[in-house]
Amino acid sequence: MTAVKPPAVELRGLIKDFSVGLRGVRLRAVDGLSLRIEPGEVFGLLGPNGSGKSTTIKVILGLLAPTSGECRVFGVPSSRVEARVDVGYLPEAPNFYRFLSGRELVEFYGRICGLGGAGLGARVAEVIAWVGLTEAAERRVGTYSKGMLQRIGLAQALVHDPQLVILDEPTAGVDPLGTAAITDLIRQLKARGKTVLITSHLLTQIEDVCDRVAILDRGRLLLEGAVNELAAASARSASETAETLNAAEREELRHWLAARGKTLAAVAAPRPRLDQIFIEQVGRNRPPEKGERL
Amino acid sequence: MKSKRVSFSMKRVGLIAAVTLREAVRQKLVALLGLIAMGLVAGVHALRDFNFGASELKFIADFGDGAIAGFGAVLTIVLMAQLFFSEIENRTALTLLAKPVWRTEFLLGKFLGVVVVAACFCGLLTATLAAVLWNREAALQLERPEAFAAGGAVDYGALWIVAWLHWLKLVLLAAGTLLVASFAQTQIYAVMLGFSGFVICHLQAFAQVAYGRGGAGLMTVAATVIHGMFPDFQLFTLGASGEWSFGVIARLTVYAAGYAAVALGLAVYAFRQREV
Repeated sequence: MTAVKPPAVELRGLIKDFSVGLRGVRLRAVDGLSLRIEPGEVFGLLGPNGSGKSTTIKVILGLLAPTSGECRVFGVPSSRVEARVDVGYLPEAPNFYRFLSGRELVEFYGRICGLGGAGLGARVAEVIAWVGLTEAAERRVGTYSKGMLQRIGLAQALVHDPQLVILDEPTAGVDPLGTAAITDLIRQLKARGKTVLITSHLLTQIEDVCDRVAILDRGRLLLEGAVNELAAASARSASETAETLNAAEREELRHWLAARGKTLAAVAAPRPRLDQIFIEQVGRNRPPEKGERL
Repeated sequence: MKSKRVSFSMKRVGLIAAVTLREAVRQKLVALLGLIAMGLVAGVHALRDFNFGASELKFIADFGDGAIAGFGAVLTIVLMAQLFFSEIENRTALTLLAKPVWRTEFLLGKFLGVVVVAACFCGLLTATLAAVLWNREAALQLERPEAFAAGGAVDYGALWIVAWLHWLKLVLLAAGTLLVASFAQTQIYAVMLGFSGFVICHLQAFAQVAYGRGGAGLMTVAATVIHGMFPDFQLFTLGASGEWSFGVIARLTVYAAGYAAVALGLAVYAFRQREV
């Protein structure tokens, strides 16, 4: 018999409230969120600012305790230290010990994760090379650019070869070249069979690398599914618009193009981008602001 | 899947302490306070006119003692609060606690890093003080050999005992400041309460005696409660004769370790509830 693998992350009815101000007014950051991320999946957690993405990640990492509900990582409750054994985490806008060199930093986190001996040096060199920082490895982290910080952050997240990698806004503030490099690294992680949970405002990037996405707003789950399915569902409504061209109109269009030496190959509805779906879903969830035109 | 059991590890505590120590020695505050204190102790000879009638060597020893106590307290309280809050504010704690690290290990690592700095501070200043005393004693022996007919006037062994007692007090201050920092929202709050604790620990024994003389009353009860809650720093002062015994030192060490353990235990409890 083969043992059933537990999901990499499982959230059931997760609620997280914060007390705000002296009177302890409750602010609900996450509201009844249920998610299941399977091993080997690249999962995108989307949402506008304040939608509860980072709070959810902190609960998964055991940095915050849920008010109610359940959170498990590889079947282990996230409140337990054991839940973090197989997890690598790159925080949003990472900040590390500036006085350590890149190599010392990755080595430190490697030792913290229980690595040691001759294998540690080799592993540190390997992940540093993998993120493309070999030449800067002996430089102090304080001298690194934003993109280099993200990459050394990725190296520390991966040094102990975790099965689940959580990336919180990995490309925030990074230039297009750096973004492309990080996107490529995420693809490589997927190829290596790692589970990746990623949050990003760069929705086109998410679309390119994610298998499935969830859209959160005000702590609630609005939409969840495979990127292709969500795009297809949204495209159906768009295709209705394209198909409103009747045969005569199509013929007229064909003639118009032919007069200009062009041919009409096909009439197809454009596949909606994830950012369109995102804006549509979040917009639908929000009541119009006072004075806003409908 | 990898083995899931993660036990408390002194190795991880040591790693966190080592990083804390490296961060501490790069702090300008440490260098500044260390240099000022060493400069004052090394140049105490120039201040001998302010000896208030005490013998010169005693004045130097008392001055050095005061420098270690005063600067050591400032260094320990501010450094403990600063290093703890720098982890929280720079969000390096986030990355560290997202690893398989117990919060107890994190707190103990920060604490150990600071108490090692405090030990170095006490050691360096005591060595400086011993050198100044030795130098001045040698000069006085040449000037007035009859005054030293019975032998040297300075017990250099006692200097190191005093250094140990100072360090114990700094350990208690570090633990107390860490306890406050574990639940405080701002660094300045932790520093202010740390200094308040320093004053209370020094004066609480006097308060208890003073209120005790007046008979039972609310203030006597309050003084007794405070006496139990806070360690009595007066106990860590050697008598005027400078006599000491290993038994007394051992008892004081256990006394300090007990209070520090309670403070750290409460800090761990508070920090475990804290949302990082």
